[in-house]
Amino acid sequence: MLKYVLKRLGMAIPILIAVLTLVFIIIRIVPGDPAMVVLGDQASAEALAALRTKMGLDVSMLEQYFTFLFGTFRGDLGTSLLSGRPVLGEVMTVLPYTIDLTIAGVVIGIVFGVPLGVLTAVYRNSVTDYIIRVFSLFGLSFPAFYSAILLILIFSIQFSWFPVISDPDLSNYGQRLRHLVLPAVNLGLIMVAYITRSTRSSMLEVLREDYVRTAKAKGVPRLVVITRHALKNALIPIVTVIGLYLGVLIGNSVLTEIVFNRPGLGKLILDALSERDYPLLQGVMVIYAFIIVVVNLITDLTYGFVDPRVKNQ
Amino acid sequence: MRQRKGLFCIFLAAIVVCGLSFSSPVFAESVLKIGTLSNDANQLDPHISTKSQDKILFPWIFNGLVRFKPGTADLKQIEGDLAKSWESSKDGLTWTFKLRKGVQFHGGYGECTAEDVIFSLNRASNKETSTAYKGYGDFASVTAPDKYTVKIVLAKPIPSLLGMVTNYHGGYIVSKKAVEKLGDNFKTNPIGTGPFAFSEYQSKRQVTLVANKDYFRGAPKIDKIIYRYLPDEASRELAFKNGELDLIYGTREQRWVERMRKDKGTKVDIIGLGELRTLHMNASRGPLKDIRVRRAIAYAVNRDEMVAFVGQDVAQRSVSVVPRGYLGYSSDVPLYKHDVAKAKALLKEAGYPKGITLKVIITKVASLRVPMEVLQAQLRKAGINLDLEVVEHSAFHKLIRQDASDLVLYGAARFPVADSYLTQFYLSDSIVGTPTAITNFSHCDVADNEINTARSEADPAKQLALWKIAQQKILKQSCTVPIFEQLIVWARKANLDYGFKMENSLSNGPIINEMTSFK
Repeated sequence: MLKYVLKRLGMAIPILIAVLTLVFIIIRIVPGDPAMVVLGDQASAEALAALRTKMGLDVSMLEQYFTFLFGTFRGDLGTSLLSGRPVLGEVMTVLPYTIDLTIAGVVIGIVFGVPLGVLTAVYRNSVTDYIIRVFSLFGLSFPAFYSAILLILIFSIQFSWFPVISDPDLSNYGQRLRHLVLPAVNLGLIMVAYITRSTRSSMLEVLREDYVRTAKAKGVPRLVVITRHALKNALIPIVTVIGLYLGVLIGNSVLTEIVFNRPGLGKLILDALSERDYPLLQGVMVIYAFIIVVVNLITDLTYGFVDPRVKNQ
Repeated sequence: MRQRKGLFCIFLAAIVVCGLSFSSPVFAESVLKIGTLSNDANQLDPHISTKSQDKILFPWIFNGLVRFKPGTADLKQIEGDLAKSWESSKDGLTWTFKLRKGVQFHGGYGECTAEDVIFSLNRASNKETSTAYKGYGDFASVTAPDKYTVKIVLAKPIPSLLGMVTNYHGGYIVSKKAVEKLGDNFKTNPIGTGPFAFSEYQSKRQVTLVANKDYFRGAPKIDKIIYRYLPDEASRELAFKNGELDLIYGTREQRWVERMRKDKGTKVDIIGLGELRTLHMNASRGPLKDIRVRRAIAYAVNRDEMVAFVGQDVAQRSVSVVPRGYLGYSSDVPLYKHDVAKAKALLKEAGYPKGITLKVIITKVASLRVPMEVLQAQLRKAGINLDLEVVEHSAFHKLIRQDASDLVLYGAARFPVADSYLTQFYLSDSIVGTPTAITNFSHCDVADNEINTARSEADPAKQLALWKIAQQKILKQSCTVPIFEQLIVWARKANLDYGFKMENSLSNGPIINEMTSFK
C-alpha cells in the first residue's frame, strides 16, 4: 500500500514540472508588468526599470525559470512581488477557506446528489425523473456568479439570514459555519447536478444486471435491493466523478469566492494573475496541482474501500 | 438507523450554532465599515503608491506640513496642518515653516519634529524611495534651524511649493524612526500622525485603522475603520444594502447613481476633481503623422453625446487638455466643435477619401472600454474605423507604453497644478518608449519651451500665461482630444456625516477625520 502511494506521488513530479513550466511560460507571454502594478501609472520608465531589477525580473527568462524550479523543489515558493510575504504563507492563510468550501460543496453534492440520482434511476421516465433531470441540467448550466447573486438577494437581502461578505474569523466556529452556508450551497448546486446525473446512469446500468433481478425475485425488500445490491455496485463510477469534479470544484470556486468576497485559492490565483505577481501565481499553481494529484490518489484509494476486488489487485 | 439519527443530531447542532451566531453582540464602539475597489492594498507607503485604493487611506493616516481644507482640492484654500504658520522670501526661494509642538506619531514613535519633516521630504525626493521624486528636483536644501522650524531652500521657483508639502503623495510626513526601524515592512505598517492609526493589514482582505485618541485636532468620533477590499461592484452594493458596509466606492454610472438616490437611507457623493478622459493620438504612427488626420478625429468626436451617454451627474464636458479646477487650466483654447463634414473633408484632403482604419488597444475595464466603444461609433460616421483590441488592464498599460496603439484613451487625475498634467502627458521627456517616459502617448513636443519655462517662472501671472499658451499649442497641433471629466462616486449611509461639505478630494475618496461621525 505504502509502495503504491509513494509510486503515485513519484509520478506526480513530472506532472508538477510540466505544470510549472506551462505556468511560467504562459504568464510571461501575456503582456503586463508587475513593476507598474506596484508603482502605478505615474511612474517614470527609470523608476519602473529600477524596480524590475529589485524584483529580479531583469535577469534572463532561463535564469528566472531555473531559480523558480529549484526553489520549488527545495520547498521555497518565493516571495509575493506585491505583498512581500512568502508565497507559502499567503497560500496557507487562505487554504482553510478553500478546504471548508470544497468539502462543504462535496458534502452537499453527495448528500443531495446520490439520493436524487437513485430516485431518478429507480423511477426512470416518471414525472419525478423528468423534474429532477431538468433541475440537474439547470444546475449544470446555471452560471455560478448568477446563482450566487440570486442566493444573496434571497437569503441575505430579503431574509437577512446570511451575510453578503463571507469572510469569517476562522476561530469563531459559529461564524465560520454561517459564512459558509451560501457559498457552499452555490458550489454544491453544481456538484449535486453532476452527482445526480452520474448516479442515475450508473444505477440504471446496475439495475439491469441479472443479480438485481434475482434478488428481487427472491423477495428481498426493494429498499435493500436498491441500497445494498445496486447502489453499492454503482458507487465506483460515482466516486470517480466526485474525484474528478473535486478538481473542477476548486476551479469553480473562483466565481463563488469573488461574488461572496471569500478568501480562497481561486481568488488568490485571479488576484495574482491580474497583478502579474509571478511568484504568487506560480506558487499557487504548484499547490493547486499538488492538491489535484493528492485528490486523484485519494480517489484511487477509495476504490479499495468501495470495491474489495480493487483492493485485492 | 442509529447512524442516521446521529447525522440528524449533528445537522441540528449545526443549525443551532448557526442560529446562535446570528445574534451579533452589541458593540459600544463606533465602527465605520468601508468597501473599496480593487482586490488588495498595493503599498501603504504614501511616497510610493499612486494607486487609488491606497491613496484613499493616506489622508486618514498622515498629515502634511499644510493641507487642503477638508472637502476641497483648491490650492487657494490651503491651511496649516503640521505647520502652524509659514512664510516665504520675496523671491519665493526660501520657505520657513513653524511646526506645531507635541504632535505624536502613532504607535509610540514619539513627537513629530523638524527631523521627521526633513527626513520625509528627502525621502520624497529620492527616486529609490518615492515615485513623487521628480516634483522635488528643485529642492536645494531642507534644514532645521531648530526642533520646530523647517527651512526649505529652492534652487529655482516651482509652480506651487505649498502644493509640494500638502497632504498629498510626497508631501506626507512619515516617522523617521518608524521607517528606519520597519524598513521594507513600512509599506504594510504605515506610521503617521493623522486622525487614524494603522492597526492591521490582512492581505487581500482588509486594513483596520483605529482612532488616534491623541490626535492634535482632537480625538476622532469614529473609533475604528475597517477598510475592505471588495473588487466586485455588485457584491459591494449588496453588502452595503445589507448593512454590512457604511460607505462604498460606487459605480460611476448615471443609472447606478439614480438607483441609489432613490433609497432614503443612502446618500450619494459625487466627488471631484474629475479624471480627464483624453484621446491621445500617436503622431509617430501611420496616417496620424498627418495633422489633418488628427484634426479630422478631433472634429469627429462628439463630446456632448459622450457626456449624455456617461451621465450628466457623473461626467462633465472637458474644457482643455488640463482638467478644470487645476491651477493654470485655461478654457481659452481651440477645442474643435463636432463637425462630421469637416472631418470627412480633412480626411479627403489628407489623401484618404475612403477613410482610414486605426488599430486601438483598449482595456477591458468598463470605465475606459465603454467610452472607447462610443468613440468608435462616432468616428465611424466620419469614415474613421477603429479596430479595437480589448485586452486585460495590466496588458493595456504595458502595450500603450510600447507605442502599440494608434489611439490611446486614458483617464487621469493629477496634482491640481497644470504643470503636473502638462509635464506627464505633453513634455517630450515623457514620450513613451524613452528612458524618461511617463505618459506622453501622443509624442507631442510642441509646448516643451512653455512647460519648462512656466515651471520655474516666479511671476504667477506670467506662469499662467505660459500654461495657457502651452494648452493652446497642444490643441492646435491636435496632439490629443480632451473628451470628458469623469467624477468619482461614493455612497454612504444617510447617518454618516463627514463633518464638512465633501466636494473635492485628491485622494479618490472622501476625507474621514476627527469630525466624521454617525448621527
